[in-house]
Amino acid sequence: MTSLRVAVDVGGTFTDVCIFDEDTHQVRVTKVPSTPDDPMVAVMDGVRRGQVDLSSVALFSHGTTVATNALITRRFPAAAMVTTRGFRDVLEIRDGTKDDLWDAYRDVGQPYIRRRDRFEVAERIDYAGNIVEPLDETQAREVARLLRRRGARTVAVCFVNSHANPVHELRMRQILEEELPDATVSTSAEILPEIFEYERFNTTVANAVLAPLVTGYVDRLGAQLSEGGYAGDLLLLHSGGGSMTQKMVQKYPVRLAASGIAAGAIAARHVATQCGYPNAIGLDMGGTSTDICLVHRGELRVTKEWAVEYGYPIIFPSIEVLTIGAGGGSLAWLDEAGSLRNGPQSAGADPGPACYGTGGAEPTNSDANVVLGRLGTTLAGGAKRLFPDLAEAALTDKVAQPLGLGLAEAAGAVVKVANANMADAVRLVSIRRGLDPRDFALVAFGGAGALHGAEVAKELSIPTVIVPANPGVTSALGCLLVDIRHDLSQMYNHPVSTIDPDDLEAKFHAMEVSASERLRHEGVSPDHAVLQRLVSMRYLGQWRSLAVEIGTGPDALREAVQRFHEQHEREFAFRRDDSPVEVYQLALKAIGTTPKPAFERHTPTSGHTPEPTSVRPVWFETDGWVDTPVYDRTTLPAGTTLAGPAIIDQLDSTTVVPPDTRADIDEWLNIRIHLTEVSR
Amino acid sequence: MSIDTPTRPGAVGATRPALDPVTFEVLKNAFATSVDLMSEQILRTCYSFVIYSRDFSSALCDAEGNTVMQGSQDIAVHVGTLHFQCKAVLELFKDDIHPGDVFAINDPYRGGTHFNDVSFIRPIFVGDEIIGFAQNKGHWADIGGRVPGSFDVTATEHFGEGLRIPAIKVFDRGVFRYDVGALLVENTRSPEVALGDLHAQAEATSMCEREVLRLVDRYGKDTVVDAMAQAQDYVETIVRHRVAALPDGTWSTTDYLDADPGKGEGLIPITVTMTIEGDQVTYNLDGSADAVASFLNSGYGTTYSAIYAGTKTFFPDIPLNSGFYRAVQADIGPEGTVVNAGWPHAVTGFCSGPYEKLMNAIFEIWSQLQPDRALACCFNLEYLLVGGRDARSDDRPYFMWYDWMAGGWGGRATKDGSGATAPVFGVGLAVQPLEGQERLSPVLTTHHALAVDSGGPGRYRGGVGVEKGGILTDATSTVMSYCCDRARSITWGIGGGLPSIPHGVWLNPGTDQARFLGSVFSSVPVQAGDSFSRPSAGGGGYGDPLEREIDAVLEDVIDGYVSVARAATDYGVVIEAVDPELDDYRVDTEATTTLRSRIRTQRRDWLAEPAAEVAARYRAGEVDVLDMIRKYGVIVDWGTGELLEETTRQFRETLHRRAAAHWS
Repeated sequence: MTSLRVAVDVGGTFTDVCIFDEDTHQVRVTKVPSTPDDPMVAVMDGVRRGQVDLSSVALFSHGTTVATNALITRRFPAAAMVTTRGFRDVLEIRDGTKDDLWDAYRDVGQPYIRRRDRFEVAERIDYAGNIVEPLDETQAREVARLLRRRGARTVAVCFVNSHANPVHELRMRQILEEELPDATVSTSAEILPEIFEYERFNTTVANAVLAPLVTGYVDRLGAQLSEGGYAGDLLLLHSGGGSMTQKMVQKYPVRLAASGIAAGAIAARHVATQCGYPNAIGLDMGGTSTDICLVHRGELRVTKEWAVEYGYPIIFPSIEVLTIGAGGGSLAWLDEAGSLRNGPQSAGADPGPACYGTGGAEPTNSDANVVLGRLGTTLAGGAKRLFPDLAEAALTDKVAQPLGLGLAEAAGAVVKVANANMADAVRLVSIRRGLDPRDFALVAFGGAGALHGAEVAKELSIPTVIVPANPGVTSALGCLLVDIRHDLSQMYNHPVSTIDPDDLEAKFHAMEVSASERLRHEGVSPDHAVLQRLVSMRYLGQWRSLAVEIGTGPDALREAVQRFHEQHEREFAFRRDDSPVEVYQLALKAIGTTPKPAFERHTPTSGHTPEPTSVRPVWFETDGWVDTPVYDRTTLPAGTTLAGPAIIDQLDSTTVVPPDTRADIDEWLNIRIHLTEVSR
Repeated sequence: MSIDTPTRPGAVGATRPALDPVTFEVLKNAFATSVDLMSEQILRTCYSFVIYSRDFSSALCDAEGNTVMQGSQDIAVHVGTLHFQCKAVLELFKDDIHPGDVFAINDPYRGGTHFNDVSFIRPIFVGDEIIGFAQNKGHWADIGGRVPGSFDVTATEHFGEGLRIPAIKVFDRGVFRYDVGALLVENTRSPEVALGDLHAQAEATSMCEREVLRLVDRYGKDTVVDAMAQAQDYVETIVRHRVAALPDGTWSTTDYLDADPGKGEGLIPITVTMTIEGDQVTYNLDGSADAVASFLNSGYGTTYSAIYAGTKTFFPDIPLNSGFYRAVQADIGPEGTVVNAGWPHAVTGFCSGPYEKLMNAIFEIWSQLQPDRALACCFNLEYLLVGGRDARSDDRPYFMWYDWMAGGWGGRATKDGSGATAPVFGVGLAVQPLEGQERLSPVLTTHHALAVDSGGPGRYRGGVGVEKGGILTDATSTVMSYCCDRARSITWGIGGGLPSIPHGVWLNPGTDQARFLGSVFSSVPVQAGDSFSRPSAGGGGYGDPLEREIDAVLEDVIDGYVSVARAATDYGVVIEAVDPELDDYRVDTEATTTLRSRIRTQRRDWLAEPAAEVAARYRAGEVDVLDMIRKYGVIVDWGTGELLEETTRQFRETLHRRAAAHWS
């Protein structure tokens, strides 16, 4: 009997285990504290506490921060880099820029491999792939022996122009494998066959330093799971919003670098799609930060310009998530000129917001929500007590008195600035793509998303807010929903007018063969494999390119050019039909679809009048203090309709339904808040 | 001259009712978003590879042209020039400004930077009233003139350097003026690229306009206009607040350009004096030299920019707008000087010349005021241009290999300088990928590596510089030009720290034909097969190098930032290589104590040795470049070894002031 699907999402504080029962269509969630020293302990603990019988699990998927944390802390096993003579420092010179342009005391972090562990061999290939200088085999072997002597466990081979001809890298790999049979070797042309040495080298180096660690973790977890009786493949969520099997992780561990943030975005897309919204913005607001993602025409925005840390790009498609320092614990403060600021500093878990009574004296967004009556006097169903008097004291001292405002006005101001910052961030992710936020629905989740969602939507003139059934564990749900996905790319830099369609077809065909092979290797049957061709284009002379879909057949390229003009106009407000267009890269998206869980659909009950559990005064900017009914979410069946103002409480979150809005409970038990005051 | 910006001590709320702090904060952040959106768009649609490497900026200006908000990722060198360009448009066009107009301007004699930096300015109208301007300025790869890339090192006047645009209308009420556009782009070497950037920049400004109009819809015109004024008051208030907490006083220092080609050898002074009185900062540049007979002069716009950017380095968290310019004032003196050249002096090379001297001098002054944020001198901005015909294809197109490097920043009060970092001129200016360059030009890069021993010695070492070179493959009719400085006025240390290394290009290094071409030269003919290389300097050191932790020197040796030999001569640390393959090096503690004490007793005498004798020993190969600079303080022509007497005298004076005076 295999009827369970299990998804595990490891976060900084909690590890969430999301269990879907295919027989009952029910989802249940177990939360256990994360164990940063060995994340697997929490994973297995959650599985036990969730009373999961591993032999009845059909699919086990996992989002992990193991790779992200290793990159941040630089805790790697002995790693080395071998590169072309003269280019040992490409990794350290980077592009020379800094994240903070003005603070001369804030530096970019150190490279993933120190200078002492970077070695050179004589060889050179030119831009067109011609051999300028053959690989010095004697030197190559000396370097390999030296690395053995130094105990290198993983090696990145990064040669200049290897994207145009990988022959030297491949020979170097052979020599390394002969001399260091136990080490892992990553070559740059295999990991990322693209032009631009720094980006390719760093991506390869990131892959190399992660290889022993991530592979080791995944293998150990895989072994534990099969020991427990799990017969299927362990699926790992990768940065691109798909998943990969254990086998592929061994080769491309770097793809797990943003595994952790992808889950929330996937969940946001799922919730929006389920509700019939092809365009949605995900607002995942936690304790210290908010992650914002964008779904357009049913697809999450994906970017290739991405890094765990400024200066160290990882050029694999990754879901585009904008993280800003605005969370429940973000501090409200007055700067020297008396302007009311919000974040990015946070009270964190220690000392925490003032209202936690754990020593915090600085006011936070949570304190403001307590003062305004939006949060009650307990959290997590009574497990955590809140102290309104401490929140009041902090806000009075630090905000209300200095600004000469009443307490409620001060707390309202704090929330308003936080909401405006989030709205600005949403504008950045949408408007810079030429998209109008008013055409989107807002999916608000995370511990604090539902407290702020409706007001952020109002600020943006977004008409609808969706609060999923379990906002606090929505990310884990995302892990349940992913397909296997690979992203392949290759250079193909030619003006459109000079492209031979047969050559283009041959290139794509070769990529498709390779992608199908990968999917087959992962056990995906051909009828579940979906391949999509993409081509990156630009106006001849431009530097950045846009990826558009391309079909097959004689008109494919012409149609893709039309799509490019349209997309350029949509994103940048202009097009140049008279300008020549060139192709920059070819890409292939290879998807192995996994069957999706059929979530329970509830039949709406009409005419249900819910009973509030209590009534308390809540402050709104438009109306001041209003006696507001408080509902227990578990008592609200599908079909319920509530007029704002209302507060809806549940174990992991609190939803604010402002005045002049209406909240409906839909058949998936999402709360949909309709803002009636929508103006165009 | 002194630009007349009204000083309004305690300006906030003096004349206008203050907005409530929440609305103000919301609008201030929204202005920043509107400007950043403009930057984001230009980065994604530009044609110029220089703009692509982030040499651009964006601003929202108010109805008078004052800057309300500048982009958060803008290049430093444009700071404090965008309002001048906006005011120039207002002055030239007065009532002839209409909705849908877009203006172009690049005039360094109207507060611009250099001809390559072309600004596009769009008025923002509400009804028939202008409430502000959206501006985007970007560095075009070429703007015509005698030399590809429009960097003519030998120019002394601007005629022939490139196209001067005093402010013209390229869109008239929303309609593109083909005649004006053609006049502009067809005076460049690649009209298609220029036309692409023209449209990309003009469209980017509409992004900002749209956002500001959205704010007007939501908050009303008066509120938005008030917030624009208040955003400037806000910045002014914070700066004044912080300045008031500092002691009153006057500080002064002099930095130098290498030479004036119109005169004999001798460093060219740029003197910066700063006074703090209450909450006002005032700079004065008295004592700076006359305009030089090369293009390393600065116009008033860029001199103000250097002053603002240098000062801003010590207020990193404060947003940039005209409020900052009110709290920080400057008297840059009459026209005709190297820091206020005036028409028609050539100023295109200001960026490698006075700009960085002013910034570093300001770093030195503020390092005394804020010792915990001290910063020694940083490497000099440098541009190498190799241009000619690309013989790899039959039609032999023009190519331009236009390259700039990262380098070392100065040592700091608590840590080593940042190595291989973009220039202070623009910390966002990205180094180009050599794989891209090799596709576009017949130049094969031979190395792009950190320069060993390039960091100025100090208790906290200067960051290491970079060495990059190449070989010409299939090139014909090719020339090489270089825009830099500090081959003689070498990147200096502070508080006892020592200088780094000279800038300058070597042709065919390591061969019989090796030639030192210096740090500024133009149109040197080069052939296929010629090789070249040049370093970027490291940063100057901070503090006495003999007080550097021995372990820090050891780690530097293991990573190869410092050689075993220089560990001894620069730091007095004697290190023995036991098994370098396994990073096994050992410090000889006893020998180190002895060596450090010997250096301590003798180093002042070394700085007084007869310069002519030291120069002779350099020519004989007995003294190397680093000892010339760091040990003896003697400056020669690095190619011929000819002593530069006056330069050496001036250089030794700075060594005494910045290093020896601080040694125990």
